[in-house]
Amino acid sequence: MNSTLTTICSIAILFATPLLSAKTLEFTIDGIKSSKGKIYVQLFKGEGNYLSNKAYLSSIAVAKQGQITIRFNDLGVDDLATDGADANDLSNDYAIRYYHDENDNASMETNLFGMPTEGYGYSNNAKANYGPVKYSQIKFHLASQTVLNTSTIAY
Amino acid sequence: MQRRQILKNIAGIAGVGASNFVLGNPIATLVNLSTQRKADLLVNAKQAFSSALKTSPTLLGLQNNTGNFPPRQLTIEGKLPNDISGVLYRNGPAKFERGDQRYLHQFEGDGMINSFTFSEQSITHQGKFVQTAKFIAEQQKNKFLYSGPLSQIENSRNVSHADVVNTANINVIPVNNEIWALWESGSATAMNAETLDTKRRVNLGENSQYGDKLKGLAFSAHPKIEANGDIWNFGLSPSGHIALYQLSAKGTVKNVGMINARYRGKMLHDFLITHKHILIILPSLTANSVNDSNAMALFNSFKYDENLPMQVLVIDKQSLALKKQFELDAGFAFHFGNAWEETDGTIHFDASINNNIGVMDELSELMSGKLRSLDNSPHTALFTLHTNGSTTKSSIDGDSEFPRVYDHLVGQRNKKLYTLSHTESNFWRDTVCCLDTDSGEKDKFVYGENFIAEEHIIVSNTAKEGEGYLVGTALHIPSKRTCLNIFKADSLNKGPICRAWLPYHIPLGLHGSFKAS
Repeated sequence: MNSTLTTICSIAILFATPLLSAKTLEFTIDGIKSSKGKIYVQLFKGEGNYLSNKAYLSSIAVAKQGQITIRFNDLGVDDLATDGADANDLSNDYAIRYYHDENDNASMETNLFGMPTEGYGYSNNAKANYGPVKYSQIKFHLASQTVLNTSTIAY
Repeated sequence: MQRRQILKNIAGIAGVGASNFVLGNPIATLVNLSTQRKADLLVNAKQAFSSALKTSPTLLGLQNNTGNFPPRQLTIEGKLPNDISGVLYRNGPAKFERGDQRYLHQFEGDGMINSFTFSEQSITHQGKFVQTAKFIAEQQKNKFLYSGPLSQIENSRNVSHADVVNTANINVIPVNNEIWALWESGSATAMNAETLDTKRRVNLGENSQYGDKLKGLAFSAHPKIEANGDIWNFGLSPSGHIALYQLSAKGTVKNVGMINARYRGKMLHDFLITHKHILIILPSLTANSVNDSNAMALFNSFKYDENLPMQVLVIDKQSLALKKQFELDAGFAFHFGNAWEETDGTIHFDASINNNIGVMDELSELMSGKLRSLDNSPHTALFTLHTNGSTTKSSIDGDSEFPRVYDHLVGQRNKKLYTLSHTESNFWRDTVCCLDTDSGEKDKFVYGENFIAEEHIIVSNTAKEGEGYLVGTALHIPSKRTCLNIFKADSLNKGPICRAWLPYHIPLGLHGSFKAS
């Protein structure tokens, strides 16, 4: 009886496994200058969603001086999009941008010219250079089971 | 992994405010070169300058400087006036070379503050590099790390905001008990007024209602300081918007505004005030389309357009709102002396004006040791903006640059305008001049071709135009020494009444201020 139950459970688990292999993205941010506030991270799927500010997934982490790692699980499966992102965007491109909300007001501070005055950054450790970064600089593929990506925050 | 809607979009990460660096003219030969070739130009520049200096000592003032100048008492010739008490501060590019490379433009050099402290019987000089973030980083690595507005560095570090490459190299003003070294594309840099030690990058809105809203904004190098101590200034955004600042004498923000000037010319160096208005004078510069690979070569990002009228934006000082706009003939001016306003609203101002920006190419050529004539020197023009919208212009014969007026007359009616021009020298300004703007008469002193005269500043203890002294540095080419010269402000033609010598020369500077004790 016990043996039968075990078998049934195993089969159930087997059938529950999705046909597409779920992937994990670990995004490490270093150079965080203080433990004040939070780190807001957005994951985008495809350039169109990035340009229209439609995040695929979002994450908020408590800021920690030095380094934090954000994990995005179950990527690569046919997930429901969030924040109005286009779920039909079958692109395998992803991109991340983030900022350090030091004053904890849930928004990124900018000066009168629109330049960030709180720390921010992008996947692939892309940096603004005499202008904003381009999507081509920050996109990456889910090429393996666990994808690692890093960025040093710019203040 | 939480999927939450409250994450605010990190949108609007705007372009870096770097497109309004101190800029120059397009250098056509740079446009289609590879990064490697562009970097090679810096090596070539160093070799060419070094070679030229051997036969042309007149280039001394653009020699690279490697260190600070410790305090040193100057040797006095003549009688030092006993009613000058305070410090003359000057700023200018001084660090031009690292490793085997040399910048391609004078304006790219890291700033150095030189101070001349007047006591009853002596003048003491010292000079220190402004310890900007850029300067410190490049000192540590002993090489250029960042591309400049003309010089392209291979594997340049990214420039995420203008202050990353702030060289603090244009002007210096006393503020409260400090001095501020000024650039024009980013923040002021606060320094100790006595030791010249660098203290911090100024965040204008700190400890005020503005918080970080003014952090990193362009704060230009020619603030206008009114007789009441208020400091007025502007800052150009890459978008063509212009921020306007009113600070107290202590450097605290009193008012800030923003106008959309829709200016595409990328460079805006100076401005003016009257007792009622701010005058933003947009030169005939417009954007120059460049391909993406040259986006960083900012000298390629704008051009002079002879068909584009200059615009004068007249802005109310209280509301910081645009009140009137005037069009002038096409032209370009780095510097303006003063503006003033009649009771009926008629506005008068002067400009050191030109009909091209060729001087920018010439300043680049000098960096490679190629001597150029002063054919592109500007001249003084006196403008009147009439209440009916019309304008008049009167040009003064001869060339003129670095205009200065008495401090107590900033924004008020002035009759005297002190400038530099050239008489004997083909390459440098060698003459100080006082123009009577009413009569057109000039009082001059010609240093001669053996001297390179720098901006001279009025030092006076009285609020009477014509009294006091005109003080300025000059590089004596044959002896390779810099001297500080003191003239009676009302009789330049009699020559300096006192001259104080350094045993060496210091780099040619740009602008400065006098802080009375």
